[in-house]
Amino acid sequence: MADEIKQQPPANFKVTIDNVTLEVPPGTTILQAARLVGGDVTPPAMCFYTPLKGSGGKCRTCLVEVSKGSEKDPRPMPKLVASCRTTVMDGMEVKSITSERVIAARNSVVEFLLINHPLDCPICDQAGECHLQDLSYEHGKAGTRYEFKRRSFKKHNLGKYIQLHMTRCILCYRCVFTADQLTNKRQHGILDRGDHAEIATYIEKSLDNEFIGNVIDVCPVGALTDKTFRFKNRVWFTKPVDAHRDCPTCCGKVTLWARGPEVLRVTARKDQWGEILPTEDGKTGWICNECRFEKKDEKDWIIDGPMKVARHSVIGANHYEVLDTPKETIDEVMGRAPKLLMDIHSVSEVNDPSLDLSKIEGPATGAVFNHKKMIGEKKD
Amino acid sequence: MSRKLLLENAHIEGIRYYDVYRKNGGYRSVEKALKMTPDEVVEEVKKSGLRGRGGAGFPTGMKWSFIAKPEGVPRHLVCNADESEPGTFKDRYLMEFLPHLLIEGLIVSSYALGSNTTYIYIRGEYAWIPDILEQAIAEAKANGFLGKNILNTGFDCEIYVQRGAGAYICGEETALIESLEGKRGNPRIKPPFPAVKGAWDRPTVVNNVETLAAVVPIINIGGEEYAKIGVGRSTGTKLISACGNINKPGVYEIDMTISVEEFIFSEEWCGGIKNGKRLKACIPGGSSVPILPANLLLKTAKGESRMMNYESLSDGGFATGTMMGSGGFIVFDEDQCVVKNTYTLARFYRHESCGQCSPCREGTGWMEKLLLRLEKGQGKVSDIDLLWDIQSKIEGNTICPLGDAAAWPVAAAIRHFRDEFEWHVTHAAEAQARNFGLAHYADPLPVPEAAAV
Repeated sequence: MADEIKQQPPANFKVTIDNVTLEVPPGTTILQAARLVGGDVTPPAMCFYTPLKGSGGKCRTCLVEVSKGSEKDPRPMPKLVASCRTTVMDGMEVKSITSERVIAARNSVVEFLLINHPLDCPICDQAGECHLQDLSYEHGKAGTRYEFKRRSFKKHNLGKYIQLHMTRCILCYRCVFTADQLTNKRQHGILDRGDHAEIATYIEKSLDNEFIGNVIDVCPVGALTDKTFRFKNRVWFTKPVDAHRDCPTCCGKVTLWARGPEVLRVTARKDQWGEILPTEDGKTGWICNECRFEKKDEKDWIIDGPMKVARHSVIGANHYEVLDTPKETIDEVMGRAPKLLMDIHSVSEVNDPSLDLSKIEGPATGAVFNHKKMIGEKKD
Repeated sequence: MSRKLLLENAHIEGIRYYDVYRKNGGYRSVEKALKMTPDEVVEEVKKSGLRGRGGAGFPTGMKWSFIAKPEGVPRHLVCNADESEPGTFKDRYLMEFLPHLLIEGLIVSSYALGSNTTYIYIRGEYAWIPDILEQAIAEAKANGFLGKNILNTGFDCEIYVQRGAGAYICGEETALIESLEGKRGNPRIKPPFPAVKGAWDRPTVVNNVETLAAVVPIINIGGEEYAKIGVGRSTGTKLISACGNINKPGVYEIDMTISVEEFIFSEEWCGGIKNGKRLKACIPGGSSVPILPANLLLKTAKGESRMMNYESLSDGGFATGTMMGSGGFIVFDEDQCVVKNTYTLARFYRHESCGQCSPCREGTGWMEKLLLRLEKGQGKVSDIDLLWDIQSKIEGNTICPLGDAAAWPVAAAIRHFRDEFEWHVTHAAEAQARNFGLAHYADPLPVPEAAAV
C-alpha cells in the first residue's frame, strides 16, 4: 500500500500528523498517511483492510482528532474521526498520540473489545500473529473492570477447512467483505444484531467456494482459523518462507510456514500491517483453497527465499531480516528529545562512563573518582 | 386553545378517506405548490423555519437545499415512518387518522426536491398502517394527484410503502436507506451524506412523517405566516405524544408557546398526574433524551419557567437541560424508580444496537448488566462511577447517534438521581421492597448566587 502511494505523481496535499508534515496525493486516508510516518503515530486498525473495498470505520480503534480541517476551512472537527475512512485535505492537522482524547478513546475501545473476548490465547492458533494481542499489549490494561460472564455462542461448523470461534470474533466484517468481493455468492454473514450478532451461515452450510480460505488471512483475531493447521504448532516456532507454484486458479504466490521439512501451513503473503500484498500485476495476492489447504508438501512448491518479517510481532523474534531498529518518531512528534526522568551521570559520578574501571588496579575506591575530579578541575 | 395546523380536521368522521379529506380543503397545497417552481417551494419551507420533527431538529429547508442535483441521476425523497423511539407515537396517529395529510405533504415535497419515486419506510410493528397508506395512495392516484403528469404540470410521482422488519436502528437515516435497498440495516459511515449519495447512491432526502405533513400548512398559509406561530427558532406547531403517569395520555398539537408546567397540569393537555400523586421526573423528548427531575423540568437553572420548545427545553445544556427530541413526553410520578427505568432503557438500547461498532456493541451490554445489578440491590457504589465512565466512552465515538442515545439517559439519570442510585446500594434490601420516592427532586430550586463576572 505504501508503495502504491510512492509510485504516484508528486503528492500535493500537505498533511501534518502529530507534528510530522508530509505530502500525500488527494484521496489518501489519514490512516494511510499515518502509516507512511510509521512508528507510534500510526493508529491501530482492526477492521480496515486496504484490499477490501468498503471495509473500515467499525472498530473505532483508529480514531484520531482533526485539530484543523484544511487550509480552506481550518475549523477542527468536533468529534474524533475514524482515520481509515477520512481522507486528508490540504493543510489538515491531525493529532494521534499527541491528543489525550484520542489516547483515552483508544484505550476505551480496547477495553470494550476485550470485555467479551475469551482471552484464550494459550490455546488459540492465532496467538503470536493476532492483532488484538498486539493492540491490547500496546493500549490495554492488565486488569479488567468487567465482572460478568463473557458471552458465548452456539457452535457452527463451517466445513472441513475453516474453524470458527465466534467468542473470539470482534465483528470487523472483513470476512463478509472478502466473501462478497472474491466469491460469486456469499454463504456466510452476520446474523442477529448488537452484542448477540454472530458470524454464521444460517442454515449450517459449509463454506466451499474455492477462494473462501482467504477469510482466514483477513481475520485479525483467532475467530477464523485454518483447520488443517489446528493445534499443529505455535506460529513463532515455524519458519516462514516465500514460495510459489504454477496454480491455474490463483497467483500461486504464498508463504509456507514450515517446521523442519514439514510444511504446516500455507498463507498468502502479507505486509507489516497484516494486509495481503499485491502481486507483480498489481492485483491483491489472494490464494485459492487448493494452494492453501491441499499442497502441504515441499515438492509442490518452488522456494523463493525467507519471508521478510517485520519486527512488530513475536514471529520476528527469531528471524527478522536485518538488524535495523525501527525509526524513532518521538523527537519529531514532541519537537524535542524526550526529557529523561533523571540523568544518572549528573547525579552520581560512580557511573561516569569516561572512567574505564577495568584499567585501574584493584577495586574502585572513592579515591579513583576524586582523582578524576581533580584531573577534571585541573583541565578546567 | 392554541392553533392547530396538523390535527385541525382530525376529529371529522371519515377524514381517512379521500372524499371527506378533499371536501375539507385537502390537496389545496398540491394545487398551489405545483404552480410554483420547486425552488420557490424550498424557499417557502426555508422561510417557515420548520425544523425536523424526528428528533435532531435540523432545519428542513436547509436540508433540502443541500441535495445534490447531478444531471441524469434520479433523486429520492424517503419518508421516515420508522417511529420506534420509546414514548413516541405521534407519527402513528398521523398516519392512521390522517393518511392523506402525509400523502399530500409527500407530493409537495417530492415536487420541491424533484423526486419521482418516493418511499415511505414504515416500521414493521405498525402492521396495519401500510394498508391505510396504500389505500390513500390508490385514492390519490385515482384522483390524479399521483402517477404520471400530475394536474397536467408534467410532474410524475409515485409513492411506495416499504415495511421495515422491526429494528430501531433503521430509523437512523443511513440505516434506513440500507434497509430500503434490501440490505442489513447498518448505519453508513458519513460522509458521504445521503443528500449526495443516499439510496442506490442517488441523492436522497430522509424526513420524518410529521415534518413532511407540516409542509402542507406551510404551503397553504405561506412560510412567513407559519413562522409567526411559535417562538424564536421554534416555529409552527409540534405534535407531542404524552404518556406515563398522567391523567390524559395522547397526542397533542402545541404551538410551542406554553410552559411545561401548563402542559402537564392544565386540563386542556395532560390533566395532571394520575391518582393525585406528585411529579418526580420527566423525559420530554423520547427515551434517548436526558431525564429531568421535577424542579429542573418546570424551571430552568436560571429560575425562568421552562417552555415547551426547542430552545427552552435545551436551556442549560445537558447539565441542567434536556432536548425536545421527537416529542415523546414520558412523565414519572413519585412511585417510579429511576434506576429501574434507566435499566429498562439500557436494555432497550443493548437489544437495538446494530453491533457494527465496538463501543456501542460492547458498552450498551455492559451498562445493562451493571444497571440490572444495581436495580437488584447487588451493586457497588463504584458501579455508578463505572457506568459514568462507560457512557462517556460511548458517547461521540460511534458511527451513528445510537451510541449517544444509549449514553445520554444513563448519564442524565446518574447526574440528577445519583442519591437514588447510591440508595440502591446502601439500602439494598429496602430498595427491593419499596421505591426511593420523591426525595427532594420536587423542591424549589435553590436560587443561584449571582456569579461575579
